[in-house]
Amino acid sequence: MQLLESILAFWNSIPPEVQTTMGRYVIALALLAVLILVSKWQGIGIADKLIIGTIRGTVQIILMGLILVYIFSLRNLIVIFGVLTFMALFAAHTVRENLEDIPGVFKATLPGVTVGPLSVMLISVVLGIIEPTGEFVVPMGGMIIGNSMTLSTLVIDRMWSNAQKQRSLLETALALGASPFEATEFTIQESIRSGLLPNLNRYASLGIVSIPGLMSGMIIGGENPVVASLYQVIVFIMIFLAAIIAGSLVSRMFLKEMFNERMQIIVPPPEG
Amino acid sequence: MEDTLIEFAKISKSYEGKQLFEDLTLEVKNNEVVGLCGESGSGKSTLLRIAVDLVSPDSGTVRVLGKELSEWDPRELRRNLILIPQEAQMFPGTVRSNLLWGLQLRGDSADESEMKQVLKEVNLKEEMLDKVALNLSGGERQRVALARGLLLEPEGFLLDEPTSALDEASALAVEDSINELIKEHSIGVLMVTHNEEQAKRFTSRVVNLRGGKCL
Repeated sequence: MQLLESILAFWNSIPPEVQTTMGRYVIALALLAVLILVSKWQGIGIADKLIIGTIRGTVQIILMGLILVYIFSLRNLIVIFGVLTFMALFAAHTVRENLEDIPGVFKATLPGVTVGPLSVMLISVVLGIIEPTGEFVVPMGGMIIGNSMTLSTLVIDRMWSNAQKQRSLLETALALGASPFEATEFTIQESIRSGLLPNLNRYASLGIVSIPGLMSGMIIGGENPVVASLYQVIVFIMIFLAAIIAGSLVSRMFLKEMFNERMQIIVPPPEG
Repeated sequence: MEDTLIEFAKISKSYEGKQLFEDLTLEVKNNEVVGLCGESGSGKSTLLRIAVDLVSPDSGTVRVLGKELSEWDPRELRRNLILIPQEAQMFPGTVRSNLLWGLQLRGDSADESEMKQVLKEVNLKEEMLDKVALNLSGGERQRVALARGLLLEPEGFLLDEPTSALDEASALAVEDSINELIKEHSIGVLMVTHNEEQAKRFTSRVVNLRGGKCL
């Protein structure tokens, strides 16, 4: 009886909007059950991943939410940029995990995914483009770091696979007196372009075909749609700027893993 | 003026556990055309790549125009000694942009007449300039690669089996171009070939690479 009373008291202490959302979450779990059944029926084989992902994701994101509430309450820009630095570190680690067969990825990625997004965020705060509060800096910074991370993965993957598959062409460029950067310039430019393409498409169809995450979030949060739209454009500009800085830095750093100081290719030929 | 183009002194190199050369010594003078013959896998191509520092020997010294490789900026070295691989590679773009590729790296360019002249020297028509380089035949690619190298005004050429991947007609056309180039420019050439007859046709001296040494 006492236990029931304590549970009830705990439930009543939860803000009403959280109670409502928790109810919705439970209903969504019913949809998840349908999804798992369909996955099993169709033999797609993602049921385990869905269950584990849901449990882990829910815990991670609630914890993250609680940590963010605490961090935002500190109203301290240094702490906020500390959070962004941690995110950038994790981004570099993720790129390494995704490209585990390629050496030196973390070392090559870290400066790019840190300097690119953080410098853009800092400039945006200093110029007053975005408000200097955690509520703005952290989610926007996260989006910018995420995009820089994706682009860095693509740049390194392309540079490495091109050096393996088009070794003769790369060697021809070196044999004509090209520096490692000049010999790989075309690959770097092409991979930065392809990495930005999905966002460029979304940018071009903004408001007509796509209503991206930040804008949707702000509208759902009750923000004026015009304000949300303008913030979305700002974020796109920041994403492009940070990604180009990150891609350029990462590619230059990664050249050290592909060539030695005598400008010889040290990438091994593809296996098999 | 240094009279030795390339000097390999006691070069040793092994690759994937196989000893390619052991204490190999070879000298190519300026204006001299040397043919390097040997069986497949004897390391002929590796030797050319060592000369332009694309691969380092395990031991020994290589001098180009009197300077040890370590004293050269690799870019400068490779502009002075042009390596043309067995299958000449073209960059995306036209023949014109390919001809200018090496020059532009050093902030230089060539005018239309210079480009037409080098094409003529390798027996290609000037209409080729606007063709897409990746669509060229093997023989045309070899000759565009020669022309591209010529525009850099190098001190020497390293030719790696320039006709081995070509049909007979293309091979003869490339041979003619190489002959012209040697006569016109009087520059040093080290040419790898598995065809001793071909080597004798062009070269002033034929060296055989056997058992990791030059004979």
